[in-house]
Amino acid sequence: MSSAITDTFTADHHRCDQLLAAAERQLAAGDCPGTGEATAGLAGALEHHFTLEEETLFPELAQVFRVAENPIEVMVGEHAQMRALLADLHEAVAARDQAAALGTLETLHFLIQQHNYKEEGILYPMADGALPARGAAIATRLTED
Amino acid sequence: MLNTAGLRLDQAPPITVPFAFFLAAPPFAVAAGLWLTWAGDAALASRWTPQTLALTHLIALGFLTQILCGALLQLLPVLAGAPVPRVIAVGRTAQALLTTGTVLLCAGLAQGSGVPLTGGALGVAAGLALLGATVALALTRSRGVADTRLAMALGLSALAITVALGLVLVAALQGCVHLTGFPDWVDLHLSWSLLGWAGLLIMGVGYQVVPMFHVTPPYPAWLRAAAVPLAAGGLVAGSVLTLTGQGAQANWALGLAGVCFAAFAVTTLDRQRRRDRPILDTTLLHWRSAMVCALAAAVLWLVGGRAETIGVLLLVGVGVGLPSGMLFKIMPFLSWFHLQHRQLAARRFDLRIPHMHGFVPEARARLQFWLHLGALGLLVAATIAPGHGLTRPAGVALAAATGYLGVLLGQCYLRYRAIARRF
Repeated sequence: MSSAITDTFTADHHRCDQLLAAAERQLAAGDCPGTGEATAGLAGALEHHFTLEEETLFPELAQVFRVAENPIEVMVGEHAQMRALLADLHEAVAARDQAAALGTLETLHFLIQQHNYKEEGILYPMADGALPARGAAIATRLTED
Repeated sequence: MLNTAGLRLDQAPPITVPFAFFLAAPPFAVAAGLWLTWAGDAALASRWTPQTLALTHLIALGFLTQILCGALLQLLPVLAGAPVPRVIAVGRTAQALLTTGTVLLCAGLAQGSGVPLTGGALGVAAGLALLGATVALALTRSRGVADTRLAMALGLSALAITVALGLVLVAALQGCVHLTGFPDWVDLHLSWSLLGWAGLLIMGVGYQVVPMFHVTPPYPAWLRAAAVPLAAGGLVAGSVLTLTGQGAQANWALGLAGVCFAAFAVTTLDRQRRRDRPILDTTLLHWRSAMVCALAAAVLWLVGGRAETIGVLLLVGVGVGLPSGMLFKIMPFLSWFHLQHRQLAARRFDLRIPHMHGFVPEARARLQFWLHLGALGLLVAATIAPGHGLTRPAGVALAAATGYLGVLLGQCYLRYRAIARRF
């Protein structure tokens, strides 16, 4: 069985983890321009990941495998929570409120970790099994776009 | 048909189930500190005094086991995709039995009195049997990472063996059965408890949460494959040798389990040193301190150090410190996560939910860590130099550190409740 979706989307999770760590590093160092760039980079990477999942991977999976609808709904709900936390983060960074920004990044980190654990352990392997012909093409879009 | 239960939101237990275990733990550690203050040097002079036995059970059962039980009920659905059946009824009943049983057992151990000792042991055994059996049932339906599931299964088996050995020891103390080599049986009981029940669970959960919490490289595959089965094998071999009257050789087999945990500790320190998240937070400080304590205990055991010092390093250094550090992350995150869902359900987006540091401020958690380290230092010093009047200050320090932990965790819950009422 192909594992293109699991491998590529998991690698992208790790890339986003590194970006979050980089934002935290800039923030802790008190580097305001650096923090702005790092948080924008993190938000861009997360948004790209969410969009491909919500517009391509999840609808195609739900079409083939209806039982995945409930877990997909949960995942999309958590994407919304992460977007809200990113908005809080931008607000805190703009206000130069280091404590609020660090606390928000910490919360975002934990939400992302438990979210990724579920996707990597269940949803992606399910997608690899349900979309054997499409997996590689969807995975390529994640790295190319 | 693929099982999608692992992704259902309703499988997570209500927040009050794990929180009840987490909030009940600090008062037992405070009681241990006060007991130490009252008992004085006798409590740390020898591992065999009634005062010491009560002290160790207040921490091992009252603090550590309470938290491990709450963590299992919370983590099983997340880490192994396994919802625990009837989690509210099981959690509440098991906790009531465990809590009452621990109080009675410790009173019985301290007084050498028969009725509370037997009643307490039976209460603890019944509570842990109920919780252990239910969690084991959930584990049979679980999926997810094989080494963590194996560690949880072996940890639960170790709990069952610890409880069984504890009941045999109580029966022997009451004169119902005769045991040859009683101290060897006690060694088995505490080895299965600390290295088996607590140690195997810490390793299994650590494989997942250490890389997750601080974005570290994963644990090496060889360690994940070998450490937990080898440690369990060492405990089994040690038990067989003890039961066949070969107590001296049994010690070396039990040492194998200690070596596995030491390897885990070294690897954890190395992984955390190579973390991507730069922040040195209180959870990380607690992990580091606990892993250093585990290594120091292993070295002391190898060179024939005092059992009381090894006990303090494992029970307080690892058994109190590590769960404290974990709760500083777990309780604020669960508070935030549950409030988010209440907010979504009520569609009250005008209300702002604080981020994790709003539930347990980092500066206060950091203060608690230094209090813990101070208490640990005094306790270790009191066991190294008994009779120098250090035990009572150590007891006060332990009560202060764990009391402050209780205050911080209590404030986290009150903050959660105050916001939850507004939805």
